Amino acid sequence: MNKLFTVIDFELKSYTKNKSFVITTLVMVVLLFAASFLPKVFDMSSITGVETKSIFSGSDDKDEDKDSEKEDGFYLYYSENDVLGSKENVNEIFAEVGILKKAKSKEDIIKKVKSQKAKGGFYIKDDMHYEYYVFNAEMYDDTQMIFETILTNLHKQNYLLAHGMDISEFVTEYEAIPEGNVNILGKDASENFWYCYGLVILIFMLIIMYGVMIATSVTNEKSNRSIEVLVTSIDAKYLLFGKVIAGTFAVVIQAGSILAATLIGYGINHDAWNGKLDMILDIPSDVIISFAVFGVGGFLFYAFVYGAVGALVSKTEDINKVAGTVQMVIMIVYFVVLFSLSKPDGMIMKVCSILPVSSYSAMFVRIAMGKVTVPEIIISAVLLYASIIFIGWLAAKIYRMGTLRYGNPIKFRNALKYIKEKE
Amino acid sequence: MKLEVKDIRKSFGDKEILKGISFEVESGKALGLLGRNGAGKTTTIRILMDVFHSNSGEILLDGEAFDRKKVLIGYLPEERGLYPKRKVLEQMIYLARLRGVDKKKATENSMRWLKRLEVDEYAMKDLETLSKGNQQKVQLASTLVADPEIVILDEPFSGLDPVNSQILKDVVNELIEEGKIVIFSSHQMSYVEEFCRDIVIINHGEVILSGNLLDIKKEYGKNQLVVSPVDGDVVKLKNWINDKLSDDVEVTGHNKTDVIVKLMDGVNRMKFFGDLSDKATADGIEIEHFETYKPSLNDIFVERVGEEDKEHEETSEGGEDNE
Repeated sequence: MNKLFTVIDFELKSYTKNKSFVITTLVMVVLLFAASFLPKVFDMSSITGVETKSIFSGSDDKDEDKDSEKEDGFYLYYSENDVLGSKENVNEIFAEVGILKKAKSKEDIIKKVKSQKAKGGFYIKDDMHYEYYVFNAEMYDDTQMIFETILTNLHKQNYLLAHGMDISEFVTEYEAIPEGNVNILGKDASENFWYCYGLVILIFMLIIMYGVMIATSVTNEKSNRSIEVLVTSIDAKYLLFGKVIAGTFAVVIQAGSILAATLIGYGINHDAWNGKLDMILDIPSDVIISFAVFGVGGFLFYAFVYGAVGALVSKTEDINKVAGTVQMVIMIVYFVVLFSLSKPDGMIMKVCSILPVSSYSAMFVRIAMGKVTVPEIIISAVLLYASIIFIGWLAAKIYRMGTLRYGNPIKFRNALKYIKEKE
Repeated sequence: MKLEVKDIRKSFGDKEILKGISFEVESGKALGLLGRNGAGKTTTIRILMDVFHSNSGEILLDGEAFDRKKVLIGYLPEERGLYPKRKVLEQMIYLARLRGVDKKKATENSMRWLKRLEVDEYAMKDLETLSKGNQQKVQLASTLVADPEIVILDEPFSGLDPVNSQILKDVVNELIEEGKIVIFSSHQMSYVEEFCRDIVIINHGEVILSGNLLDIKKEYGKNQLVVSPVDGDVVKLKNWINDKLSDDVEVTGHNKTDVIVKLMDGVNRMKFFGDLSDKATADGIEIEHFETYKPSLNDIFVERVGEEDKEHEETSEGGEDNE
């Protein structure tokens, strides 16, 4: 057992002493922790919806207006019968889009839009008919829609006035919204959706990234022939288990510290953010625990597979040739789970949450968003960890068999045949 | 300690690689394991190291089944294998610890061996930054770091300059003096002659020659003599012997200074010496040197393996004809 710890210690140092690993981790931790303080440094009220006293928020409003007018441009309008009424009223409604200025005529609008002095213009015949002029139509331009809302409201006002009705009374009654509270006694799928989405992507990335690193580490020992000395010093299964466990520790250290920095930073600045990132970062503890259990399990499962893949080839450039099938399975699981997030209790997700190749990703989604029973969770976890033991055993056999076979990549079928033959 | 390898056989698929290899080696003695490329030396070593399992045969240590967990083996593979991007000391400690040495002792041993091989100044450097010769010395230091009782060296001198070769020679001699079992595999016969009391020559998975090197040399030199001319004209002397003394001897070869001859059946060296003396005087040939032929290991290897390969080819061709 001491030898296993020696291997884990040596292999873990290959990560922790790797400059790119250390720098990436530190940069991510510092950046994400610092990013959580942004609302306290900059005025982010447009995102957070809360006016906070920010270090860089003391500028003069008038100057800002002028700047925004200069930078964003303005819109023109010309109304045949002065349908829009007071300019203040119009600008108040239109403020969302920009500044609205009165033009001299329809031709004046066309001329200024053509010369790009104005961003766009509206020629209004009456409260139900208008024309919109714009130089380049953008893909998502809601200016016209907002302007139409203004005209619709004007039309409603004009109608009510013409029929002698009280506008404010009508609006109050017509747009009355019943007051009610939603009391969710179970899970709110819409609230849990985004962090589940993020965690599915996270575990997918970790398995792909570190899996290849583990395979490369095994293949490197073959290509630099250090395996010749190693297999004569220690049982091959300790070498593989040591590598996989060290890789898992490295993942937990890197991903854990990045996640912790983000969550702690957000926790400190929760009020400044006005809870706007709760949907991603306010992850319930039961989901974090299930993510840890199934995520670590899934990582171990695929890490052993990648370890075996590394033993089947002699050159690092051959890894992708053999790892293709494994990566395909991981990709399929990723897309199936991602597209099934809206139906966490559908048949596909139920099957995925039980199968060891996919339960690492599907089960915590069901725990977070669906109706999963405790026995289902236990069966899935037992199946996953039993599979890890089996895959670990098989990978160790392949590793032992493949380590001293150089040359072309060994086919998986042949590897099993050689194991059966027992060297 | 006495290590015995008895009738080891090994096949990969349908191909039989080892066809009954046997040899033995004792503490304080070195065995030269020789053979052409692909003869089966590395497979034999790997079976010895328990990397492969043999199909049949046995390995005994002092008469009992060889348990690799109880005896430390230091193995220097022909294909050098360490971590290029890790520090020299770090990986030496790692390898020592994998062989059961505690961290403190592993550090001490590592530094001692690095110093002995004169590469201690590189202890904290990445291996890949060292020259090929120094990497080779680090590899040897890693082999010996756990103080093994059995040392297997596969081509230890490749890539070393004469100065480094001398350091390595001294170390190997020390190991033999300390009573270690040393198995030495190399194509550089001069080194094998220098260290090994016994040799085993493997060819096509079979032992074609084994035993005490001095006895083998004596046997190969039996009835053979060397004759050297004063004027150094070896070709002239060779032709003269063929012409005048063909009833006494057969010329088997020559080198830069000597003609090698083999006595015919029924002819002893005194008769040959008398005839040589008389006829040389008559023809004005001056002989400088006359002695028993002592073949080099290289000569023995080339002759024995060459004969074997010829027979092997003939057998293969015969087999093909039959098909």
